[in-house]
Amino acid sequence: MKYLILIMLSLVSLTLTAAEQNYPFDDVQKEQDFNQLLQELRCPKCQNQNIADSNALVAIDLKNKTYQLVQEGKSKKEVVDFMVQRYGNFVHYDPPINSLTIWLWLVPILFIVLLAGWIILNSRKPNIAAHSISEQDKQKAAALLAEIEAERKNK
Amino acid sequence: MKHLKLFIPVAAFLAASVFFYMGLFSDPTDVKNANLQRPMPEFSLPDLMQPEKTYHREDLLGEVTLINVWGTWCVTCRVELPYMTKLRQQGIKIVGVYYDNAAEAEFSGINLQQTQADVKQMLANLGNPFVFNIYDKDRDLSLDLGVTGAPESFLIDPEGQIIAHRRGAIDERVWQRDFAPLVAQYQGK
Repeated sequence: MKYLILIMLSLVSLTLTAAEQNYPFDDVQKEQDFNQLLQELRCPKCQNQNIADSNALVAIDLKNKTYQLVQEGKSKKEVVDFMVQRYGNFVHYDPPINSLTIWLWLVPILFIVLLAGWIILNSRKPNIAAHSISEQDKQKAAALLAEIEAERKNK
Repeated sequence: MKHLKLFIPVAAFLAASVFFYMGLFSDPTDVKNANLQRPMPEFSLPDLMQPEKTYHREDLLGEVTLINVWGTWCVTCRVELPYMTKLRQQGIKIVGVYYDNAAEAEFSGINLQQTQADVKQMLANLGNPFVFNIYDKDRDLSLDLGVTGAPESFLIDPEGQIIAHRRGAIDERVWQRDFAPLVAQYQGK
């Protein structure tokens, strides 16, 4: 079983490196940029894959274009802008904050703030009530304790 | 005040229900093309049948035109050819952008003679809606147009502005709903 897992794992990594070797680079920085871009750019056809993973026809073209642009010396941001210009924000896995996407960040924060406020408000009231024991109850408790003490002594 | 509090969970439940109900019928693949309401990109590409002839953006201007990105390898493209041929007979100017299969181009290379023969045969069988076909050699024009696959169609106005887009085949229903009103607007002028 262990060996089977090992063999399967080695196969997975082999196919990954094979995909990268199709695009030779002289410059390490460019190669890094290229690989990061392939991870960040989303395939417009297959929705939940980046273009490194996807086998869709359009992903081949986007990979080739990314390679060409990086080889021409374009920065990562320039390549992303190039793609967003043509395929919209959908094509990048890190979309910019705008009037619509801001809610993705605001809603959880609002939720936490409201919840925290609610907990604080609610935790105060019962505590005050719990700590203030009425004189009557105190006397009752003292009487009970005295009774128990008396019983113990009698035994 | 106390009664109002009781409505908070009900309101929250209703809001969540509406949100999820909308999600049930929304299509995640329905992403708007980024080029809509933008000018048609510049290009300089050969004619598919006569590669010595070159087309530019200016060749598409002057009247409202349907740009159809297609390929003989694409099954859905075959489906829409007869209907588009009918449109041509009704006086719609349709220009083809021939789009090679990227995987085929990558692994075995494209033989232009073979492609031309395939195109001739297919158009003879199913009808030829195209005034001419631009050969998008390295698929750069398609990439500039934000094409995600074939077929895709773009309607451009006489000034070269993209005014409508369709991902997938064009049939009677789609044409009447998305394209015909826009075409009528320009052809009436």
